[in-house]
Amino acid sequence: MQAFEQLKRIIFSIHPLNDDEWNDFALIWKLFDAKRKTILTKAGETERRLYFVLNGVQRGFYVHDDGREATIVFTYPFSFSGIADSFLTQQPSRFSLETLTTSSFLRTEYAQVNALMQQYPNFQTCLFKAVSFTFAGVLERQIELQCFTAEEKFKALLKRSPHVLNLIPHKYLASYLGIDATNFSKLLGTVRL
Amino acid sequence: MKTYNTEELINQLEQQTETILNLVVQQWQMMNPAMMKQQPAPGAWSAMQCLGHLNAYGDYYLPAIEKAIDLARLKRMHLATIFTPGWLGNYFTRLMMPGENGIPSKKLKAPKGYIIKNERDSDAVIATFLEQQEKLLLLLHQARRINLNKIKIPISIAKYIRLKLGDVFMFIIAHNIRHIRQAERAIAVAQTFSSENEAFSQSVPASTS
Repeated sequence: MQAFEQLKRIIFSIHPLNDDEWNDFALIWKLFDAKRKTILTKAGETERRLYFVLNGVQRGFYVHDDGREATIVFTYPFSFSGIADSFLTQQPSRFSLETLTTSSFLRTEYAQVNALMQQYPNFQTCLFKAVSFTFAGVLERQIELQCFTAEEKFKALLKRSPHVLNLIPHKYLASYLGIDATNFSKLLGTVRL
Repeated sequence: MKTYNTEELINQLEQQTETILNLVVQQWQMMNPAMMKQQPAPGAWSAMQCLGHLNAYGDYYLPAIEKAIDLARLKRMHLATIFTPGWLGNYFTRLMMPGENGIPSKKLKAPKGYIIKNERDSDAVIATFLEQQEKLLLLLHQARRINLNKIKIPISIAKYIRLKLGDVFMFIIAHNIRHIRQAERAIAVAQTFSSENEAFSQSVPASTS
């Protein structure tokens, strides 16, 4: 099945598993679909699920007391999704996770991931490496947010995800970059045909 | 009068809205604003004016629908499995439908407050349109659990006339489709203008001595 081939490819690129480990790992995932603008996890809930994105775009976001939003991360094929820190700590999430387009996933539960971690040290290593890379990504983004100009941030986003301008309403991209709509339009002018 | 299974009707309306969203997100957001603002003929609406017109209707109807749904939930109104259009609602919806060739059979004049000048920022008009379509999807989702026959919404041009919520949804989406098709035609014309201009500029000598 193509979905599982993608999952295997991504997992093995982080850290290879042996046959038993992979087979047990593959067993814990089920297919799951969601429509556009479905809230998968609400702020205040504890993230019990881990997703592997097969189709569509999702975002993790935070809503401030005054109603202002911060888009923290976009996820799309073939990355993992879910509120990572809430999942790992099993503490209530400060963020929400929603689909921005019709989406399909492989999905599993914390209890099942945890069981594998207890059983296979090699799987723990894999997870540890994955979290390390995610952590590095978060720090990279801190740099962007604090030091980059609007234009530099825009270019960095396009370099990471060249097709993103065609996938979702631009307001979410502007929110992610911390740029207002007018400035975002001006930047668009530089990449439009 | 044709009746509808509520669940199937809402599925269909959601699907139609989703199709429109995908078109505008994937193709129109990145289009050159000049293309969106190109009028296909003097006085005929550009694609941007079509979307602006739809936004004006959304500005009125979406809050009205939200208010009515909230009220219905407070009253704990129950779902009705069948929706029967009212004759006036059905008339309005039919009025919006295209003829057999895909083009509207009857040309209608928009009410005064709903005609948009071709002077705005097209990115802003598109952004508002997308926001409204997302809102519409959320309202359709909420409407799955209530009675589309019993909730009534006053129409924009005559507040003393009220339509069933099911009719309002059907009318709004048929209206959206009508003007999206019109916008597509305007864009197609704009694209032929632009390729004609390119051909012209290539055939003219680069400099004259």
